[in-house]
Amino acid sequence: MKKRGYILLAALFLLPSVLPLLAGCADDTVELRVYSWEEYIDEGGEGALLYDELHLTDEAGAAVPSDLIGDDYKSWYEDAMGTPLSEDGPAILEDFELWYAKTYPDRPRVKVKYSTFGTNEDMYNKIMLGKEYDLLCPSDYMIMKLAAEGRLTPYDEDFFLTEGEGSENNYYAKNVSPYIDGVFANGKVTIKTEDGSEEKAWREYAAGYMWGTTGFVYNPEYVDREELENLGWSAFTNKSYANKITAKDNVRDTYFAALGVTYQEEKHNQISSLSDLEKQYTANELSAEEYNAAVTRIFNATDEETVDAVEPYLMAIKQNIYGFETDTGKTDLASGKIWLNYAWSGDAVYVMSLAEEENDTELDYYVPSAGSNLWFDGWVMTKNVEKRKTKHAAQAFVNFLSMPENAMRNSYYIGYTSAIGGEKMFDYASYLYADDEAEDPVEYDLKYFFGEDLDAVLTADRADTLHGQLFAQYPSTDIIDRCAVMNYFDAATSERINELWAHVKAEKLDAWAITVIVVSAVAIVLGVIFAKFGHKIDFFRRKPKKGYTLVKQQDPIRI
Amino acid sequence: MKAPRFSRKTLCIPYAVFLLFFVIAPMLIILAYAFTDREMHFSVMNFVRFFSDPSKLSTIVYSIVIALITTVVCLLIAFPVAYILARSKMKKKFVIVMLFVLPMWINFVLRINAIRELFNWIGILGQANYFNTVFGMVYDFLPFMILPPYTTMLKIDDSLYEACSDLGGNGFTSFARITLPLSKPGILSGVTMVFLPSMTNYVVSDMLGNSKVTIIGKFIYEYFESDWHMGSMVALILLIVVFVSTLLSGGFKSEENVRGANL
Repeated sequence: MKKRGYILLAALFLLPSVLPLLAGCADDTVELRVYSWEEYIDEGGEGALLYDELHLTDEAGAAVPSDLIGDDYKSWYEDAMGTPLSEDGPAILEDFELWYAKTYPDRPRVKVKYSTFGTNEDMYNKIMLGKEYDLLCPSDYMIMKLAAEGRLTPYDEDFFLTEGEGSENNYYAKNVSPYIDGVFANGKVTIKTEDGSEEKAWREYAAGYMWGTTGFVYNPEYVDREELENLGWSAFTNKSYANKITAKDNVRDTYFAALGVTYQEEKHNQISSLSDLEKQYTANELSAEEYNAAVTRIFNATDEETVDAVEPYLMAIKQNIYGFETDTGKTDLASGKIWLNYAWSGDAVYVMSLAEEENDTELDYYVPSAGSNLWFDGWVMTKNVEKRKTKHAAQAFVNFLSMPENAMRNSYYIGYTSAIGGEKMFDYASYLYADDEAEDPVEYDLKYFFGEDLDAVLTADRADTLHGQLFAQYPSTDIIDRCAVMNYFDAATSERINELWAHVKAEKLDAWAITVIVVSAVAIVLGVIFAKFGHKIDFFRRKPKKGYTLVKQQDPIRI
Repeated sequence: MKAPRFSRKTLCIPYAVFLLFFVIAPMLIILAYAFTDREMHFSVMNFVRFFSDPSKLSTIVYSIVIALITTVVCLLIAFPVAYILARSKMKKKFVIVMLFVLPMWINFVLRINAIRELFNWIGILGQANYFNTVFGMVYDFLPFMILPPYTTMLKIDDSLYEACSDLGGNGFTSFARITLPLSKPGILSGVTMVFLPSMTNYVVSDMLGNSKVTIIGKFIYEYFESDWHMGSMVALILLIVVFVSTLLSGGFKSEENVRGANL
């Protein structure tokens, strides 16, 4: 009888682990496990491009993203997915499944299992715990770290074909912005192999998805542009912005900013200051390549001397800022609590449009002109794609997202800048930012991004190209030339910089104060233990006088 | 065929399994991580690093001080309330008790956000980070300090007070000789429920202290982003601090009048 109870319980516990197996046997679909950032893909419905296209009208005063891709989205959609476009705004993941089935009828169907993470570190930890994903979307440094540790599968050579047989569906290779492709081709990562190590280009492992810069979003009502330009990174420690500026609550971004502050005006450890470099560059004493190399060197300085030099500046930042934030900065800026928020360009665009729509305030974006951060998120394949035979589906997924129409959908939905260039994407940028009737129109050259052979010159309002949303989404060439990618920290560096971060975050007490507190705490603990248990130890017990014997004390009567 | 019958032993299995997987195993994993380095070799470096770094010790000290202040303030506010409520002859007592408990039913992040806006309106957000943090903690944990003393005081027999006044005791005597000693278990359980979480509740210090106030919980969180071994060591040290403080407050004693104190 007893046994049956156990079996019943055991069955109850095992049931959840057996269920997926049963479901998995049912049909021969391939499951593609995609792991990406939260809210980083078109999820359909209101706010999605296709939904807005179908439902918004010009009379409502809203812009309609129509006629961007020839006829209309309806026929494009029906052609690509093989099903009619539904009124409620389809989501991109389901569309991929339809598109894959239609494009590759001989292959097993693909089912996308999409999950999300909040930080690169969360993602990394999940993978280290043995979670099996096929396709990931980490940021620059995390891509390098994963590649260096040998956790990634390179893309097929066929993936990069732009013409000839087998290139029909290579939307990524065909459409990726020449600028992003160049960054990915020039960026190198050293990969551990069985016989030593090998240097590989990022391009072999990663396909660009979204990208941007970091800088300050600020409220021009309180912040003088000229003053900010003179300050550069020193804005963080400038007393007139005390309690009105925020830094990011994570090591990497704030260390980057602190490097900027450290090197803005002064040289340290034989590296000249950013403002000196900038002067040399404007005086044509440095080429663009040399300048970028110098900036890259500064923002990747992680040796002990540099960390020691950065510490007082980081402390000064902490003293001066309003606070460290991960997410509250955007709303705090929009609601006027702070004047400047150190932000990623994608978030900058978001908060600028939020402030414009809801509070009717203008916010501007500034990238420290001496040099700043270039960041990107890209799709990488884990080692699982070979084991689980999902490599084809994974590459097809990247290609599908790189179709200009889909790149627009994602970019429209999340507000970040897609890594996809080309004519259609330029049309999309024009739809968003071109303004022929601007008060002060200027030609804004974006050939570096969309392609040199295109006539990618926007006519837009001067202000928008200098510090508006257009600038935040598509920075000008002279700014982008000065931006550096920050590499990943290896284990020793990571420890060094985390220690620095811990020092800065903690409110330090004097050594003697700690000693006094620790000693008194130990004394209290010992005192209490003695008071409680001391009488049980014979040594401390008072000996009875001669001629007396000790009688065990009776318990007092309880009420 | 008889229906399956569950003996007491069988009924224990779910909890035993839970205990094994979610209490004992994680503790052992933390212990293993704390005393190993990145290559998973045995190492006491994390321990040495912790105690040789003034900023880490400072964080522990600050956390304890914040938690202590929070507890004392909570006690100063909550105990009189509990006393008045328990001793009063009010008919609708439960309404007032309910008003104290009600905030617990509203999402905590929402409440802290509301406080944040309030502080901003007053103008002290970003100005007095430590005060704001302690205020947030007190606001958040106050109900935990009211209920346990209240329930223990409700159980005090009225005849004790009658006897006290018969023997010539005044109000103060009855409070000092009856209410205080008999509600001690409730107070202790309230203290434990406030002191321990306020050492680690970094949502409050992040939101109201603008992340400029670092308490030990945040410290552990940040280490777990990059270095699980050091993070586990800090977690282990916190565990020891908690253990010692529970020992000091007598939380391990199983007296019968603790009954009802733990809600």
